Amino acid sequence: MTTATFDIPVGSQKPSSTAGIAVALLLPIALVNAIGFILPVFNLARMSFNEALPGGGIAEAFTGANWTELLQDSFYIELILNSIMVSLGITLATLLVSYPIALYLHRASGAWRTFLTVLVISPLLTSAVVRTYGWIALLAEQGPVANVIASMGFQPPRMMFNTTGVVIGLTEILMPYMILSLMAGFGRLDPKVEEAARTLGATPFRTFWRVILPLTLPGIALGCLLCFVLAISSFITPKLMGGGRVFLLATEIYDQAIVTLNWPLAATLSMLVLIIFGAALAVYSRVLRMIEG
Amino acid sequence: MFARLSIAVSALTIAAISGASAETVTLTAYSGIFQEHYTKAVIEPFMKKYPDITVQFYGMPNSAQMLGTLRAQKSSPQIDVAILDVSVAKAGTDEGLFDKVDERVSANVKDLYPNARAEGVAGVGVTFDNLVIIYNTDQVKTAPTSWDALWDKQYEGKVIIQAAPDIQGTTFTIISNKLAGGEDYKTDVSAGIAKIGELAPGVQTWDPKPDVYAPIANGQAALGIGWNARAQIYSGTSGGKLGVALPKEGSGFQINTINLVKNAPAGEAAKKFIDYALSPEAQAAFTSEMFYAPTNSKTVIAPDALKRTAADDMDKMIDIDWLAVAKVRDGITEQWRRRIIPLSR
Repeated sequence: MTTATFDIPVGSQKPSSTAGIAVALLLPIALVNAIGFILPVFNLARMSFNEALPGGGIAEAFTGANWTELLQDSFYIELILNSIMVSLGITLATLLVSYPIALYLHRASGAWRTFLTVLVISPLLTSAVVRTYGWIALLAEQGPVANVIASMGFQPPRMMFNTTGVVIGLTEILMPYMILSLMAGFGRLDPKVEEAARTLGATPFRTFWRVILPLTLPGIALGCLLCFVLAISSFITPKLMGGGRVFLLATEIYDQAIVTLNWPLAATLSMLVLIIFGAALAVYSRVLRMIEG
Repeated sequence: MFARLSIAVSALTIAAISGASAETVTLTAYSGIFQEHYTKAVIEPFMKKYPDITVQFYGMPNSAQMLGTLRAQKSSPQIDVAILDVSVAKAGTDEGLFDKVDERVSANVKDLYPNARAEGVAGVGVTFDNLVIIYNTDQVKTAPTSWDALWDKQYEGKVIIQAAPDIQGTTFTIISNKLAGGEDYKTDVSAGIAKIGELAPGVQTWDPKPDVYAPIANGQAALGIGWNARAQIYSGTSGGKLGVALPKEGSGFQINTINLVKNAPAGEAAKKFIDYALSPEAQAAFTSEMFYAPTNSKTVIAPDALKRTAADDMDKMIDIDWLAVAKVRDGITEQWRRRIIPLSR
């Protein structure tokens, strides 16, 4: 009895002290986030209701004009849809080229695996600017890629300063992220299950379709979410490879903020990107529940 | 980082030793080659003339970023003087960021050309620049004499133009509108828009990177438009690969204004610097250094430098009222996006 009464306070004290430690540990990052992220986002939200004066001035106001302009102007509707479509296209392309690599890496072992993993990650060591300039050199009118296509007797298409260039560049730049996410999600893929499917008479394709693919869906979902978010917010590659022809949300925010000085509209566009992020997250968690449920 | 820190520390030490008599004027203007040449031609001679004033150059890549910084510092300014584009200066004036620069600040103001003193802008013009054709001398053998060269079919796919809303694109619209025989640019630029539309399919990029000069100097593109002063400098540094031509039809001016920040911490020293920057002496030095045309009518320039500016062709220049353009700029940008750029996809 005495031990029991002795135990109870200890038991009830324990969680409260760990909670205290947890709060103490979380406080610095919560503070940094509040000052560095939440506050600016609120500022941005407030800015999106201000009025833009011609020539770059800002008038303190509370108007929904920026929002209605965005949602009624055919140019902006096209820009938003185009951003989403291009980002989805890039995500799909990244998935298609990364999946086999990730699967091979998952099955590799020992030093070979380490070597290949380093090879996959190494592009992240150079900045996106450098890699984008690399693509500009490769895809230029008289560049190596155009020369190879021409030597095969085809008329090389324009691959630079248009959407094609942006998709090619971003796909390569996002591949390491996709491969790493896929590998992280491949944990459930046990070689024994594949072997079982094969011994039970499934063809390699059937094994892939009915066993491997469903087991790797969580990794696919994670990789797609990450790549979509990175693609829609990417700025350097579309700016350098789009040739001023590809209008995307991130480049438009830059133009409105830096060139036209229309901060309220830039803020509205930024809030819209945030909303798209939220929607992508919602889709992701729904997909995850479907996979696991 | 470390170098900057040590400079800051030594600056502090100097300030502490020399006491209240030493003053620092913080100037913000374009970073890069502008900073390099302005420091050499104007700031260093100024500091020699006024040994107890130090001018600190705080370079920023463009006018918009300067405006953003000034906005953020409105309650406690750290910058005393700002050199930025006239239309951005107008926005800053409207937001109450600047004090008026007039004869009380500098006696040189009365000698400025009329278009250096825009109504409704607190600052005054300190440099004039103008749009020119720039070309790769390997690909374009004879120097173009007319804007029509851009429309020449033999350069299709090799033309680069910085599209609106950048002011290169806006200025080009006004020039094209005049070439096409259009009406007053303040009311209608559709003739100019249609003319650039004819050029659009042959344009390689509407957003050359890192700027319009590098791709032409290295041969990625053959022809384009750019600002005279920078083009003249890059023409020299590229070993003649980049050619510069002022077309016979004339061109349009871009104006950088010098502005006194409201409640500037440097006070009188800031005014002294503005006065010096507008003096014939400083104007002439900067023109021979970087080929911006002077805004002070009393400036005497060496003939070889004069030839490389538009100062001799003042009568051929379109008098662009940038404050009027600011009002129609959104409309011009919209037409570029709907009626020019889609033609080049």
